[in-house]
Amino acid sequence: MKSMYRFLVAVLLVSFFTSCEREIEIELPNAENLLVVEGSIETGQAPVVLVTRNRGFFKDFPTDLESFINEFVIQDALVVVSDGAVNDTLIFTVNILAYPYVYYTSTNMVGEVGKTYSLTIVADGKTIRSHTTIPPAVSIDSTWFGLNPFDSSEDSLGVAYLQMQDPDSMGNAYRLFAKKYSEFSFNQVAGSEFNDDYVNGQKVIFFAGQGEKPFVSSDTFIPKEYFYNLGDTVILKFCSIGAKELKFFYTMDAALNSNGNPFAAPTLVKSNIEGGLGVWCGYSPAFDTLIAIK
Amino acid sequence: MISVLRNIIVLLLLLVFPNLIEAQTKHTLSGYVKDAATGEFLPGANVYLKEIMQGTSTNSYGFYSLTVPSGNYTLGVSFMGYTEYSAPVKLTSDLRFNVTLQPKVIETKVVEITEKRIENNIKSTDMGRVELSMDKMKKLPAFFGEVDLVKIVQLLPGVKNAGEGNTGLYVRGGGPDQNLVLLDEAVVYNAAHLLGFFSVFNSDAVKTVDLHKGGMPAQYGGRLASVLDISMKEGNSQKYKVDGGIGVIASRLTVQGPIKKDTASFIISARRTYIDAVTKPFIKSTSPTKGSGYYFYDLNTKINYRISDKDRLFLSGYFGRDVFEFKSTKSNFNIRIPWGNAMISSRWNHLFSNKLFCNTSLIFSDYHFESNISQTAFNIKFASGVRDYNAKLDFTWYPTIRHTVKFGANYIFHRFSPNNTSGDIAGEELNFGPKVYVFAHEAALYAGDDFDITDKLRVHGGLRASWFAQVGPYTQYIKNEKDQKVDSVKYAAGDLIKQYPNVEPRLMMRYTVNKNASIKASFTQNYQYIHITSLANQSLPTDLWFPSTARVKPQFGTQYSLGYYQNFKENTWETSIETYYKTMKNQIEFKDGTLPSSGVGDNLDNYLTFGSGEAYGTEFFVKKALGKTSGWVGYTLSWTKRTFPELNDGKTYFARYDRRHDLSVVISHELTSKWIFSAVFVYASGNLLWLPTSVYFFEGKPVVNYGERNNYRMPAYHRLDLSATYTPVTTKKVKSSWNFSIYNVYSRLNPYFIYVETTGSPLTGDLKNSAKKVSLFPIIPTVTYNFSF
Repeated sequence: MKSMYRFLVAVLLVSFFTSCEREIEIELPNAENLLVVEGSIETGQAPVVLVTRNRGFFKDFPTDLESFINEFVIQDALVVVSDGAVNDTLIFTVNILAYPYVYYTSTNMVGEVGKTYSLTIVADGKTIRSHTTIPPAVSIDSTWFGLNPFDSSEDSLGVAYLQMQDPDSMGNAYRLFAKKYSEFSFNQVAGSEFNDDYVNGQKVIFFAGQGEKPFVSSDTFIPKEYFYNLGDTVILKFCSIGAKELKFFYTMDAALNSNGNPFAAPTLVKSNIEGGLGVWCGYSPAFDTLIAIK
Repeated sequence: MISVLRNIIVLLLLLVFPNLIEAQTKHTLSGYVKDAATGEFLPGANVYLKEIMQGTSTNSYGFYSLTVPSGNYTLGVSFMGYTEYSAPVKLTSDLRFNVTLQPKVIETKVVEITEKRIENNIKSTDMGRVELSMDKMKKLPAFFGEVDLVKIVQLLPGVKNAGEGNTGLYVRGGGPDQNLVLLDEAVVYNAAHLLGFFSVFNSDAVKTVDLHKGGMPAQYGGRLASVLDISMKEGNSQKYKVDGGIGVIASRLTVQGPIKKDTASFIISARRTYIDAVTKPFIKSTSPTKGSGYYFYDLNTKINYRISDKDRLFLSGYFGRDVFEFKSTKSNFNIRIPWGNAMISSRWNHLFSNKLFCNTSLIFSDYHFESNISQTAFNIKFASGVRDYNAKLDFTWYPTIRHTVKFGANYIFHRFSPNNTSGDIAGEELNFGPKVYVFAHEAALYAGDDFDITDKLRVHGGLRASWFAQVGPYTQYIKNEKDQKVDSVKYAAGDLIKQYPNVEPRLMMRYTVNKNASIKASFTQNYQYIHITSLANQSLPTDLWFPSTARVKPQFGTQYSLGYYQNFKENTWETSIETYYKTMKNQIEFKDGTLPSSGVGDNLDNYLTFGSGEAYGTEFFVKKALGKTSGWVGYTLSWTKRTFPELNDGKTYFARYDRRHDLSVVISHELTSKWIFSAVFVYASGNLLWLPTSVYFFEGKPVVNYGERNNYRMPAYHRLDLSATYTPVTTKKVKSSWNFSIYNVYSRLNPYFIYVETTGSPLTGDLKNSAKKVSLFPIIPTVTYNFSF
């Protein structure tokens, strides 16, 4: 879509023979300093909470990874998760193998379906709060592999399909993750966040490529990095989530898509964190594994 | 006390039955005023009796009526650009007297624009009203060969554009949806071609433009800010005539003439851009975007037939489309976006008596926007629009020379399609929920009287009773606090869902201080039942019209204005100062977090939030109307604010089109009878934009975060245009002129828009946020050849 908007602008410009696009310096009011939460609690898993800061929009980014992490990641926050009965103070942990690499977690609490978990974070002189509930899981009916549906000439690259049966009650919301067997972390499948407004009680088919790898620029589309190859073993993680959490992912996706689009609306991301940004989300996953064969 | 009451009753009786006081035998002088050369009727011409120095002006169909004691009079008729008419009239019985005015052979004034008639700007009660005569505008600097009437309207104080590439007028702090744009009485929902670079009005087919930005008389309603009432030419009833213009990117052709001389005539006028044709040779046949392009076209037609001296029929039509296409063979991606207006207006003028004029209109109008996207086997279509069936009955009654009473009724059936999506993958239909239409009735009754209470004091008092009702079929979705659909209420066809009856008072007064000066004041209240709101920083043709519903209350506006008008040197110089204060209730914006796809399969009003607006400002206007050098300077100082409890933390913010300073200078000079030079200069404070103030990372991706609403003011907009028009003297049948224009003489790179972008990645160390400014037009010289025969 981005390229289309560029083209529209180009048409306007070329049409009139001449035009100009240039980078300009803009003076903006100072941004409020805010804490950003990337927190999840999954059935049977310990909570994982990454706490970061926002940053002035036009301030130059650090160019090396170490100063990048130091500048964004808060390593000395007080992070407390409560299930109503137990308050657990999470411990700062570094794990260079799996995203998010630097985070707060627990050794004595795991997520349970139906429980509501509140989160309190104290850092940079601020206190922020949120709560989330782990909804019941919705099982996967079947999964299979199919060649790229957008290119009939394709004979080796393709996507993983997943079919599920939405329960009869309204208000179910989902988010899909995927990874190759060899990968450590699941990658979020862009645009997979979804609710049952139009498909309540119906069978729904999702499809997934390799998913969005953290910190990889999506400026260019590389088929080999988007699709699976024949022979890949793929694990799908299909998660039920809450409605407020869905709203966050939905608006965040729109904000990412509108970045760099001159005709797009200012997209406000709807956080479920009181006084901060990001999301604290309970996930109820269902898993399935498939092998990419014709 | 009783005597006070009696006086009031007598006064009321006199207002209602003005004939009661007319003891003397009175007779009515009435008729039409028309152009001698073309046979076109002239609306807004001054008709007066010199002996008593009282008179009226012709209505929109060129009709006048004067009822005075019998006697000998001298009838005077004057209109801009025409030789003043004068004739003795012996009035011993009712008399029908049609007047033909001769166009002035040498037009001394290029810029004919009048704050309501040259002699009458002091005398009328109209505030903030401007009439333009289109034929006289063509010597102003042209933009790509087109002198656009909306662009000229935007040079007037109090009227703003939002810069190049933005559709819509912004009048006295109002939004782009708050203007009633009428073409031969039909509502035009989107008045712009090519994202606002051209208006949909072909200047060759337009006769007059009448803008009301201040006190809106009772015959108009349904919008808060202004009325732009455009009349198409009727067609030359005397002889066949062809006009045309050949420009750099667009050409136009108009043919008009009598079907039967003095009885029936027609006009047909067409326009098309050829940007697509011009750019095609530059696109290689192997280019992945071959076949992409943009064009627009429009067609105006009108036929009129005079059945008798008392009856006349008009049939007008407009059809216009913009089409944008993008094809990418590389990714098998196609998009085709057509949009535009269509309308048919049929009208019947009937004279019930020489004092009572009636016009009946039946009007169909339609605005449609469509976006078709396809990629290999995947097809998706978004469609939106509005369709109206409209019936109007308008009377003009001239009971005495002191009163002109207008009353009538109006009914519209609306069908809105806010956003309907359909699509398929390889022939298999995708489910986007049912198509959503919203149906509504809108009706109004009005009466207004222009009353000369004394020779010095004139009052327009009016009342408009309006009613709006949303009706079924309709499915209303009920949502919980988590924004989940939990229930729905179904209404059957015709079921009343919500209705809004309202009364709108209009009051305008003029007090004549002396022959050259007057003070005017007005107070008006308006309701608006249909709305646009936009997600984007620009206004675009994708912006949706939607009606008042159970959740969306009608917009309500109150405007107070006060003005002082002074003419100098025998009306050579006209000046005015008008100041206004406006409040607007039930203003509409999208809730934070709303996405362009949000309304699909849902009620759009679930995504709206409501607030209030306030606007105030002062407009200064100096015009030189006569002489070889003419023109005007308009300056507006204004503020426009909005307050929404759910937006911007409830804090008041400046509206997107808040503009502190706005200056227009228009000058033209007739050097010889062959050469006319003109110049336009505009300066305007920049628009406000809402830009992100910070960025954060989520799942390894940079996400932008916005601060206070409309936190950045773009650089000021300013520009100078020059033009020269050469009209060779010829005895040949074909008359022609050349217009040489230079747009943006000092090549100011005004921002079309500013946007922000994130590129790179922290992994590669090249992550960067930047702001880009896109400017469209540097200096652009154009030549247009206009001809007529």
